[in-house]
Amino acid sequence: MTREPFEQELVSIPMVVDVPYRFAAGKYMSRFLIELRDNGRFLGIRCPSCNRVQMPPRIVCAACHVKNTEWVELGQEGTLAGFTIMYLPLTDPTTGKPHKPPFTYGSVRLDGCDSVFDHFVNIEPDINKIWVGMRMKAVLRSKKQRTGDLSDIIYFEPIEGQDKVT
Amino acid sequence: MKRNVAIIGGGQTHHAARRHDVNQVEMVNEAVRAALLDARMTIDEIDAVLLGNMEFFEGTHMTDCWLVDGTGVYGKPGLKITTGGTVGATIVCAGAHHVASGLFDKVLCIGFEKQEEGDTGAILSGVAHPLYGRSMAGAALGYFAMMGTSYMATWGAKEEHSAMVAVKARQNARKNEYAHLKLDITIQDALNARMLAYPIRMLDMCPASNGACAMILADEKTAIDRCKKPVWIRAMDSAHNEQFELDWRDVTTTRPIFSKVSAARLYRKLGVKNPVEYFDVFEIYEPATWAELLWYEDLSICGPGEGFKLIEDGMTEIDGPIPVNPSGGVLSTNCIGASAMLRVWEAALQIRGDAGEHQVPKEVRRALTTAYGGTNWSVLIALSKSSDE
Amino acid sequence: MPEEKDYGPFEVDQHITAHSRYYAGKIGSLFYTTLRDHKKFLGIKCETCDKIFWPPRGTCGRCFSQLSEADMVEIGPNGILETFTLVTYHEPVHPRKAPFIYGIIKLDGADTGMAHFIDEVAFEQLETGMRVRPVFEEERKANILDIKHFKPV
Repeated sequence: MTREPFEQELVSIPMVVDVPYRFAAGKYMSRFLIELRDNGRFLGIRCPSCNRVQMPPRIVCAACHVKNTEWVELGQEGTLAGFTIMYLPLTDPTTGKPHKPPFTYGSVRLDGCDSVFDHFVNIEPDINKIWVGMRMKAVLRSKKQRTGDLSDIIYFEPIEGQDKVT
Repeated sequence: MKRNVAIIGGGQTHHAARRHDVNQVEMVNEAVRAALLDARMTIDEIDAVLLGNMEFFEGTHMTDCWLVDGTGVYGKPGLKITTGGTVGATIVCAGAHHVASGLFDKVLCIGFEKQEEGDTGAILSGVAHPLYGRSMAGAALGYFAMMGTSYMATWGAKEEHSAMVAVKARQNARKNEYAHLKLDITIQDALNARMLAYPIRMLDMCPASNGACAMILADEKTAIDRCKKPVWIRAMDSAHNEQFELDWRDVTTTRPIFSKVSAARLYRKLGVKNPVEYFDVFEIYEPATWAELLWYEDLSICGPGEGFKLIEDGMTEIDGPIPVNPSGGVLSTNCIGASAMLRVWEAALQIRGDAGEHQVPKEVRRALTTAYGGTNWSVLIALSKSSDE
Repeated sequence: MPEEKDYGPFEVDQHITAHSRYYAGKIGSLFYTTLRDHKKFLGIKCETCDKIFWPPRGTCGRCFSQLSEADMVEIGPNGILETFTLVTYHEPVHPRKAPFIYGIIKLDGADTGMAHFIDEVAFEQLETGMRVRPVFEEERKANILDIKHFKPV
């Protein structure tokens, strides 16, 4: 295939759209975030039909669509259900700033809870030092610094003295 | 189905990393013209046009409105649908519903994404819950990475198994003239690729492609009169998931998750006892290698935890007994708005015997396609050579 | 669990910033490079409909004929003011601060109009049907703002 002696200039036009939002948390999520901010505790909800404990708490059970009314206080410890070591500087969309890689984050299932949730894991990003099944505990910001957001949890940390079960 | 619906034509663009030579309208138009040519129809004969892409991915809204010149919907009824990664298949379902209802005879379905033009990272972050999860960076990559660690820890699979999926996809794509990434890679290449998020390496993840796919759906009379090789849509099923529990990433979950629920329902609708015997080829939606292993299990192609053995034994190769993604799959081409429709179109090509170099070397009477989208939900479509089998 | 008290509404402010880049395609690129380099306007002709469109495009929406760079023809640079309005509210996305005049100009030879600013004239003196001509920027970048505005001839 012969190349054209003159290659056409192809024009492109850049554009930035910056959209502000204000989200209302709603009844159940408001309670969860306010309790996290004011009292540093995690609230979940138990389904009256299948007994599933869900965090974040929401009005309807994920599995059976029945209205949830029983609130449950969960502890701060749990088990790592999955994890990854991120090597790309992904941007936090709420701040516009990238996280500094490599960093570890994972899915933790709090004791007494059936659902999992994601957060950063404070551990050396070394595949030999982290494993599924590790016991973790949450590390919260001081009450003064908490705003009612998941970032009120700084990260999860492995509980001391664990060995990998092979 | 109230009326039988067939795919009587289709087309796609040559998917690529860069398409600076066309704007969005012109790119969509390429696929539309290819589909009309394949069906030997003119745009005037089309009764409605359904268009789908990812919400705001190209920095433009209401693409059904402003792409009118290219989609051919000028003066006609049409809709836009955005359902995330599943949109290509959702459009096919919507098209099938339009025809099956008896209100429309010939419907043009289009899926596209001109991914280089928008800020997919910023927009995709909008999928995460604003108050519970958005600040936790990870996105699709992190999600599938966690799926990988969970899968390996639970079933004892190794990184090599992910590499096997990557190699199969890219080698199949080399036989597909329309695929974006046609890479002659080996297992070692996949294992040496740059690590993105443990255990996902560069070659384990799908690309961002620019491309479009279009298909024409028609009623039985039109299909029989006008088309030599109609491909019949025998059943469709979809199962939505709720928004917090990204189930796939924890393979030990016992919840009735989207993929298993819709597969079970679809199999019941068609009377499928053993999907491996019933379907001759599968086109599944795998944004990352580990997702393919989970699809094997969730579709009951094998039992739980056996997915990695299936790929190890070469069962799902293009010339194997259970060919999966002979087209190269989403791992080779991912223009998100079109990706799910490409699964259906590629399966249709297999049934027609028109897949060229990537045609599976056995008789294809029935195929199953899957689609997957953010917050985890699925659309399954079963195609057949005949309208009643 | 302690009794549920009234926790009050909880709202969070966030924003999403998205960067896009639109490719004009071959036909669009030729329009913009011609505008930038020669201060000339190109429309595109559909032979079947016998119409000349601005902006130039790859398909005729009405008859679905495929059009190409070979179908592009020069239009304008002057034209007729078809309609106009005075914008008096602020929007961050506007390239000009209100108040400004904005109208549809049908360039000579074209069958469709172009939206742009109207300036160097008082709003009260404008009339539909007026002849207008473009005023170009000194430094042009191959986008629609290479035209500063239109003004009465």
